[in-house]
Amino acid sequence: MNKPNPAQRRYVARFIPAMLAYVIVLFACTWVSRVHHPEGVALYILSVLPSLPLLAVLAVMGMYLHEEQDEFIRSRLVTAMVGGIGILLAITSVWGFLEEGANVAHFPTFLAFPIWCGAFGLVQCFMSLRDRMAGGDK
Amino acid sequence: MNNRLRVLRAERAWSQQDLAERLEVSRQSVNAIETGRYDPSLPLAFRIADLFEMAIEEIFANPSKESAK
Repeated sequence: MNKPNPAQRRYVARFIPAMLAYVIVLFACTWVSRVHHPEGVALYILSVLPSLPLLAVLAVMGMYLHEEQDEFIRSRLVTAMVGGIGILLAITSVWGFLEEGANVAHFPTFLAFPIWCGAFGLVQCFMSLRDRMAGGDK
Repeated sequence: MNNRLRVLRAERAWSQQDLAERLEVSRQSVNAIETGRYDPSLPLAFRIADLFEMAIEEIFANPSKESAK
């Protein structure tokens, strides 16, 4: 395992609090909605609150991309992100046509971010595997 | 892009990690450049050339001349 560089350490130091905030805000908003049954503006605010930490996670990822000084790592990261976007677009495009033509359940759009994260990770795994098979990185 | 990085490193008995530290990049970067999986940017290519006290074209093969062979 390689020692993380300063940009990677900053990324982890920002990412963990943002994800912790997401979990706490999500549970708190769900609890408040179930117990107090808010309406009107309060309901809108409660509904949008859990997305704010996820926006922070996106900002944290953007900051890491900007701060990463190692051009090879940055290039791999961008490739994996674009690959993740491609997979997400493929899934949502096929799903959209299935909704129109075959009346499958509506795609919950809040799943787009976790699907992209998963696809981003999968592409990174694929790239690492490809490098090892090519006799490169250990 | 073909290059002589592995040979030059071996001549100095440097590990990939040694070279990476001298260039202030990751060991993965050195590995990727050595195996031709990644072409360094011009600033990094100049850093590599400066480190070995050589011209860039003495380390990296010119792709247009390679394909003409």
